[in-house]
Amino acid sequence: MLFDFSWRTHPGFRLAILLALAVAASAESQPEQEKPAAQAQPADNAIERWNRMSPEERERELAKLPPERARLIRQRLWQYNHMKPEERQALLQRYQAFSELPPDKQEIVRARLREFEQLPKERRQAVHGEVELLRLMTEGQRKAHMNGEEFRNRFSVPEQRIIKDVFQYIPN
Amino acid sequence: MNCPIEDRHPEILVAYAAGELAAETTRALETHVAGCAACRPVAAGHIAVWKALDAWDAPPVSPDFDRRLYRRIDEDARLSWWERLVRPFRLMPLRQALPLTASAGLLLMAGLLLHNPGVVAPAAAEREAVRAQQVENTLDDLDLLRQFGAADSAENGHTGAL
Repeated sequence: MLFDFSWRTHPGFRLAILLALAVAASAESQPEQEKPAAQAQPADNAIERWNRMSPEERERELAKLPPERARLIRQRLWQYNHMKPEERQALLQRYQAFSELPPDKQEIVRARLREFEQLPKERRQAVHGEVELLRLMTEGQRKAHMNGEEFRNRFSVPEQRIIKDVFQYIPN
Repeated sequence: MNCPIEDRHPEILVAYAAGELAAETTRALETHVAGCAACRPVAAGHIAVWKALDAWDAPPVSPDFDRRLYRRIDEDARLSWWERLVRPFRLMPLRQALPLTASAGLLLMAGLLLHNPGVVAPAAAEREAVRAQQVENTLDDLDLLRQFGAADSAENGHTGAL
């Protein structure tokens, strides 16, 4: 039949829907262009958004998990929400840098931080101190330092890898 | 499943309303839509449009339709430039008017978003339900970062895990 068509496949109507969606999407993105200051604000992480949910909504979500796991999450959230403000701010800054990394880089950082956790206490302090030291250096100084004999002798290859990757991906 | 509105992929909701998604994706999206205050009204709106259009029955084509159509085409060829210009604004039959009206309605919705972007998007984002799993993953990442930052400051090199 000459005019037998389906609404679902009608190209004109589809085009109109896509056009409307494109306009809506540009409408949503517009305020970000108009307010660069607002754009510079870090995006809320899942915990901040969780804290804004109503207690009923939170409990509904937790009820989907086994009770012990839900209890642990509640406990960890309580600790996060009761951190000292300056400690929490510093942690959030590091998390912000971390969360902006592409997923593969995030995995690298997670792997290095897990390796770091496995180090003995004095090695953890040495590795952490080295990353802090690198943060104080200029790029030239840093390159020279990391290529130097002392750096290679003082840290094992896995420790050097932790230092390099953590410094590179979490610079603050 | 990520939020299609937040990820700026609302076309997924259009495909969902049109019944074009795979069964697995449909189930995942339905679960998300049920808990997402931003997606729910958009999905419901599209489903309502499809339902209204599906409910409308196109009238049958008359037996002499082709003959009348070709006569119209011949007439069109003889129209002056002015008549061709005003022709689209003449009263249209329902068949053409309905999709145009529906399209205009969608564009109007988009226009309203354009004028009140701050009202719709942030409010919807704020109400978005966060999965407990997401919170747990974030806590794990924060924990790793915190342990690294606390290596020097804590007395024994380890602080309590989050």
